[in-house]
Amino acid sequence: MTPPLYIAFRFLSHRKRPLLLSLSGVVFGVGFFICTQAQTEGFASFFIDSTLGSNGALVIRSRFQNKSTSIVEAKTARGASVHRQYFEGIQNPNEIMRVSRQFTNVVACSPVLRGTLNARSGFENATADLMGIEPALHLQTTNLAGQLVGGSIDDFRNKPNSVIIGSRLAEALNVAVGDSVQLLSPGGSYRRFAVAALARSGVGSVDSTRIYCHARVAQALLKKPYSASMIVYKLRDPDRAPALAKHFETLFQHDALSWQDREEANLQLFLTLRVSAAITVSLIILLAGFGIFNVLTMSVLAKVKEIAILRSMGYRRNDIAAIFLWQGAMIGGAGSVLGCLLGAILTWGVSHIPIRVRGLLYANHFLVTWNWTHYLSATILALIAVFIASYVPAQRAAGLPPVATLRGSSV
Amino acid sequence: MNPEPCLVCKDLERYLGEDESRVHALRGVSLQLEPGTVHAVVGPSGCGKSTLLYILGLLDHPDGGFVSIESEPVSHLSDEQMSRRRNEFIGFIFQFHFLMEDFTAQENVMIPMRKLGRLSQEEMEDRSASLLDAVGLGAKLQRPSRHLSGGEQQRVAIARALANDPRVILADEPTGNLDTKNSTRAFDLLQGLVREHDKALFIVTHNQQIAEACDWIHEMQDGRIVSTHSRRA
Repeated sequence: MTPPLYIAFRFLSHRKRPLLLSLSGVVFGVGFFICTQAQTEGFASFFIDSTLGSNGALVIRSRFQNKSTSIVEAKTARGASVHRQYFEGIQNPNEIMRVSRQFTNVVACSPVLRGTLNARSGFENATADLMGIEPALHLQTTNLAGQLVGGSIDDFRNKPNSVIIGSRLAEALNVAVGDSVQLLSPGGSYRRFAVAALARSGVGSVDSTRIYCHARVAQALLKKPYSASMIVYKLRDPDRAPALAKHFETLFQHDALSWQDREEANLQLFLTLRVSAAITVSLIILLAGFGIFNVLTMSVLAKVKEIAILRSMGYRRNDIAAIFLWQGAMIGGAGSVLGCLLGAILTWGVSHIPIRVRGLLYANHFLVTWNWTHYLSATILALIAVFIASYVPAQRAAGLPPVATLRGSSV
Repeated sequence: MNPEPCLVCKDLERYLGEDESRVHALRGVSLQLEPGTVHAVVGPSGCGKSTLLYILGLLDHPDGGFVSIESEPVSHLSDEQMSRRRNEFIGFIFQFHFLMEDFTAQENVMIPMRKLGRLSQEEMEDRSASLLDAVGLGAKLQRPSRHLSGGEQQRVAIARALANDPRVILADEPTGNLDTKNSTRAFDLLQGLVREHDKALFIVTHNQQIAEACDWIHEMQDGRIVSTHSRRA
């Protein structure tokens, strides 16, 4: 142990009340920072997982044809050409899927025929988002099997005239597994389907509108000339979806959309909430910094004689500064460790608080993530605040002229 | 044959304060301290005694002249180099002892040793215990210094000044805050240790009795040493 570290430890350990005050500021600041980050990211992660599990990480949609009219082409935000003519449906989906599977990032892909129609059950009506799927491929690509909250996927697979209905849509239509639901085709005739299962993705917009049926049935019902209006992809690394979407657009001449672009508005909302919470909680750490600044400044004033005598015994200015910087470091270090513990306890506690969320997301308790970067960020933030707070008093202590203190009244 | 002086100052000049309040505190002061000798500096308040002591102790810089330790000029050294010399060659004793209140007697004595870094923890504990034993505080090693009497605290300060076995001890009215009995005891102790370990002691004092017990008495007035008397036979 270096002499400044030893003296810093002794100075600190004999001032228990200011030490506890300073320490508690850092502990609570770090703890709250971790807890709020865990919550905000928890909801965001749940949303991302749910949307990836329902809609895939990447989607190929309508075919397009470039219509360049000038040498310099205007570009959209996503880099796609403005001068495009779009054609509904996927041209040759099997060939596109065959080529897509050659990409290492592609885990699975599934063709979907999508359309909007009216669903009816008894006296209840609702607009539904019909997804005509190939069950085997779709189950590989999405988390539909894991989202079922009633019924059986095998029933759906084995019965072409069955559907899977989103849980909130089922509530709106007042239907359960085993009931029947009527879907209105564009031609104006209703067709009856058995409800094989209910699905809850956790994303409100999906659960309140979606109906899954077999692709061939959907094609007949929607009277579409093509078998797929989109291809949904599951990726090994969803973070690389934008780059792959760009590449697919060029390769297949079909509009491709990554989940980041698809959910941009919601992701921005979560990011804003997270940054807002981080700023708010950082203020606690900032206040802790002010507390430490005050404690160390008072300590410098109280230890003027000790500083002078240390200088007379051969301690350098840097040693004196180090004594006060070490005090800050010890408060920051201990505060960060205890704060991380508090953060973990608070996060665990919050994750067990019951809450009924039925809007954008479906949740029955607070959603949290356990991410080590929250702990690292909080610790770095606390250490920076503490260093700044202790630097000024340390420099002040180092600059104190010992003679002025030792001289007393004599010249 | 006189031994080589361990501390020498020559033609020291020092101004204190700024502008109109500027005071010419030292005006060409020269002296030298040999090992085993005790020097007293006497004079009225404000004559420059303490200023001289702080310059000799490398806590203050002279505006003119120089200080040398064992024939090596030190006035031009950096703060780090001066601190090292101070830690190694000089021991300070002050009127108000300035102990670390929260530290025990033994810990106070170990502070200079920690900085020097030559001894292990065990060796530091042994040496500090023997120094405190020498000043009669062997039974109070672990007592917090704030729980010691004024006389005991000054004895801890004496032990602390001897911690790194310095060549020179500079004492600024070390008995000024003690009663007559404790003054005499502290000075006798200091004088005995200095002679026993062949060190030089430079003591600023208003106490005529203590001054007369020293080998040399330097009388200061208006920043000058106006007379020097030897008490040695």
